[in-house]
Amino acid sequence: MWTTEPSLNQKHLTCPFCGLACDDLSITPGDRGIESLDPKCDKAKQGFRLALQAVSRGPRSNGAPVSMEVALQQSVQLLKSARAPLFAGLATDVNGMRATLELADRCGGVLDHLNGDAMFRNIRVVQDNGWVACTLSEARNRADLILIIGTQCFDRFPRFVDRVLLPRESLFSPKAGRHLVMLGPWQNNRLPATLKDYAPITLHAHPSQWADVAGMLRARLGNRPVDSGRLGGQLAEGVEELARLLREAKYSVITWSAAELTFPHAELVIERWAALARDLNQTTRSSVLPLAGNQGDITSNQVCTWQTGYPLRTSLQYGYPVHDSRLFRYQDLIENNTADLLIWISSLDPEAKPPACDLPTIVFGHPGMELGQEVEVFLPVGVPGVDHTGHGYRSDTVCTLPLGQLIERGLPSAATLLRTLLDRLGD
Amino acid sequence: MLIKLSGGTVYDPANGIDGRVMDLFIRDQHLVEPPADNEPIDQHYPLEGKVVMAGAIDLHTHIGGGKVNIARTLLPEQQPAYSRPRAGRMRSGSGGIAPSTHATGYRYAEMGYTTCFEPALLPVNARQAHMEMADTPLLDTGGYALLGNDEFLLQLIAEGAEQQTINDYVAWTLRASQCIGVKVVNPGGISAFKFNQRALDVDDVHPHYPISPRDILRTLSRALHQLGVPHPLHVHASNLGVPGNYLSTLATMDAAEGLPIHLTHIQFHSYGTEGDRKFSSCAAQIAEAVNRQANISIDVGQIMFGQTVTVSGDTMRQYANHGHAHPRKWLCMDIECEAGCGVVPFRYRDRNFVNALQWAIGLELFLLVDDPWRVFLTTDHPNGAPFTSYPHLIRLLMDRSFRNDMLARIHPDAGASSHLASLDREYSLNEIAIMTRAAPARLLGMTDYGHLAPGAVADLVVYHREGNPEQMFERPMLVFKRGEVVAREGAICASVNGSTHVVRPEYDQGIETRLAEWFARYHSMSLRNFGISDDEMADGIGSPVVIHPCASTSHP
Repeated sequence: MWTTEPSLNQKHLTCPFCGLACDDLSITPGDRGIESLDPKCDKAKQGFRLALQAVSRGPRSNGAPVSMEVALQQSVQLLKSARAPLFAGLATDVNGMRATLELADRCGGVLDHLNGDAMFRNIRVVQDNGWVACTLSEARNRADLILIIGTQCFDRFPRFVDRVLLPRESLFSPKAGRHLVMLGPWQNNRLPATLKDYAPITLHAHPSQWADVAGMLRARLGNRPVDSGRLGGQLAEGVEELARLLREAKYSVITWSAAELTFPHAELVIERWAALARDLNQTTRSSVLPLAGNQGDITSNQVCTWQTGYPLRTSLQYGYPVHDSRLFRYQDLIENNTADLLIWISSLDPEAKPPACDLPTIVFGHPGMELGQEVEVFLPVGVPGVDHTGHGYRSDTVCTLPLGQLIERGLPSAATLLRTLLDRLGD
Repeated sequence: MLIKLSGGTVYDPANGIDGRVMDLFIRDQHLVEPPADNEPIDQHYPLEGKVVMAGAIDLHTHIGGGKVNIARTLLPEQQPAYSRPRAGRMRSGSGGIAPSTHATGYRYAEMGYTTCFEPALLPVNARQAHMEMADTPLLDTGGYALLGNDEFLLQLIAEGAEQQTINDYVAWTLRASQCIGVKVVNPGGISAFKFNQRALDVDDVHPHYPISPRDILRTLSRALHQLGVPHPLHVHASNLGVPGNYLSTLATMDAAEGLPIHLTHIQFHSYGTEGDRKFSSCAAQIAEAVNRQANISIDVGQIMFGQTVTVSGDTMRQYANHGHAHPRKWLCMDIECEAGCGVVPFRYRDRNFVNALQWAIGLELFLLVDDPWRVFLTTDHPNGAPFTSYPHLIRLLMDRSFRNDMLARIHPDAGASSHLASLDREYSLNEIAIMTRAAPARLLGMTDYGHLAPGAVADLVVYHREGNPEQMFERPMLVFKRGEVVAREGAICASVNGSTHVVRPEYDQGIETRLAEWFARYHSMSLRNFGISDDEMADGIGSPVVIHPCASTSHP
């Protein structure tokens, strides 16, 4: 929660380290920063531990320690001489992103998030078709059938099971009457322990089959003559059964993590699942619940959208915003030499480092970040929700959670440093 | 800093001033009494022949929150034509129908608007709505918290909770979401749609709770009245856009049982089923009902022809209308057992019978409602049209011959089935000042805004007196925000940030015990993180609060 007194002994801590943004955590401090975390979550524990244990080596210039003043002066010079700065990473909180956008507007920068590829698999579907979606509490309380596509949701969003899929209590959909259907390459993967007792319906399907399965379901539900047999054996039978369950469900939810869909044109697969949910609404209720929000991707995208009128992958080089989700992919801009300065903002995960490249680079980094390749300027910044207050978005794009301050160790927020640079650049 | 504005013709209906030539004085951020003769004037603006009004207030415009960002996401192709380059310290932006936040603030201020209210603020999405409005420069803002489809309230009403308990919950919601009023959208209907019900009229029973929209309307209007909240229940009525819905609208008025109630974008709720096309104007019946019942206020939600996007909490009706999407893409969302949102792009065509008649119905309502203190100028931005069409709308109201020229261009059958040609009324400048300044301030309980008496906040606009009101209201000569000139001749020259206007009725904090249990059992967020503190508003969200008083509580 929003706190003004830094303290580790808080109830209702908000976790900034995954898109579920759980806000019911409490930490037991120990010698090494954190003794235990309740409720248990490996991802949250890792995130808080890395943040609390990090020992900042201070600002650096080409690998050598420098004063903050020198680091800021060098940053200003780099920004002044850049003609095509690229603002990427963007793993920060709302105010970090607000300051990033103001600086990018001032300097004519291009903006993309380190999760841009995954994020735009979903956004392109919205831009082309829209969809029918829901939020975490709605799924938790209403869904009587949840179709989980892929096997990675549970690693990326560890508490998805107890917070949404199988909550202890639900307003309209008790656990006993819920169907969970798992579609993915489960032959080679183990179901999460929390799900095993529940024995969900498992449909083994390789990602290359997912689009076909969605198409087949749409056809079956639309009473079109199709041969589900071509999916083969057990999968064909499972799809027939799933079509029946979807038709009978009062409120079905289809969920996935776009980061798992790493094959080309994965947005077309997502489009089919969204179309299935849309079709179902002709007679019953159905929604999609895309899981995202890790590394603050939903956060920076939301702020970018309201301040520029477009999602990320937007350029301010022309003096006004221009959006192109294919043209402004940060990896391509680096590869094609169409940027001349990289500003990498990454305050949530020490491993989310800038890509190795020849571009002059300024990093606003997690205090525990160790770069393999030294950069022109490295500025350690505080971790939102640990070193300073802030706001982070949840996966469903609706809830903005307040992040509290746990400790005071003199690390400035990314927003503070970015605004300092802005002031020094002047008009 | 002492500023003198001399010789302007002042329209200040809140103080009974209808076009009087007089001097005004601004000291720092407020209007003040004339200073002593020997006190030096720091700035002097001679305004002979100019028109002076308070800054305009838009009491219903969708400028912040999740649904606006969804509209921006859905329609990137609509934005480039309205790109706004960065200029000096003014930020770049884009968008005509769902503009970026900075572009919204600049354009409103260029038109002489100084305060705007987001009418559909989901409490669970309150932080985002306030953050977007904080990033909308030059405007004071505020929001109406959406209630009446949240499962907590529906359950309370269904189990026959005492009115006092409801009042506590409503007051807690206002506090937690930092709002100035409460809005209900399709009472119970958004929730009913989640149970797969596709229609819910005022006396229909909800599919899960044994209550009707009438029960919700009565309970909420009573709560606000008893809490002393100045702004009455803000109602988006049942059956939006459905031919024959004027009966639902009349029933909605009736449900308030004489207590204050505000019916919003009533144009969309004034339809009959007469004629070959089974679609007709019932503006006369609605206006008659408004004229007869002093507890009722309305805003119109005028449509204008062209491309726009409809954003609404009313998922039931937005889903029903998705077949009209232009371009053909749309989005609906069920949100947190609290509300929903639907975004459907739409193009109103003057050669389409229904759209043309919608246009005429809106104007009929403006002209048939007698009391300008109870009818407000809105397009339900962006649902009927973007707010940038206000100057054109003002001309339609002030200039009968222009209105009839426009009427001649629309679908001839629509023109023929409307009374519009026979309505002679032309709005005066004083009436425009009432409906865009004095009346919204009064209806919101903002005693220091919307007028020009000493003590008022110096939000003030100077217009050139033009023969064409559209030109006059499109490009004011000067716009003052809190005593500072922020726009000259329709161009922004300084940027200041606004505040968030709220009310704080008292409540028994015992309600939080019950809420804490509800949150712990069903919600995906904890109660303590739900509410927004004043510190968080000022330091994190970036918009400090201004608290307006409530009337002393009158218990039942």
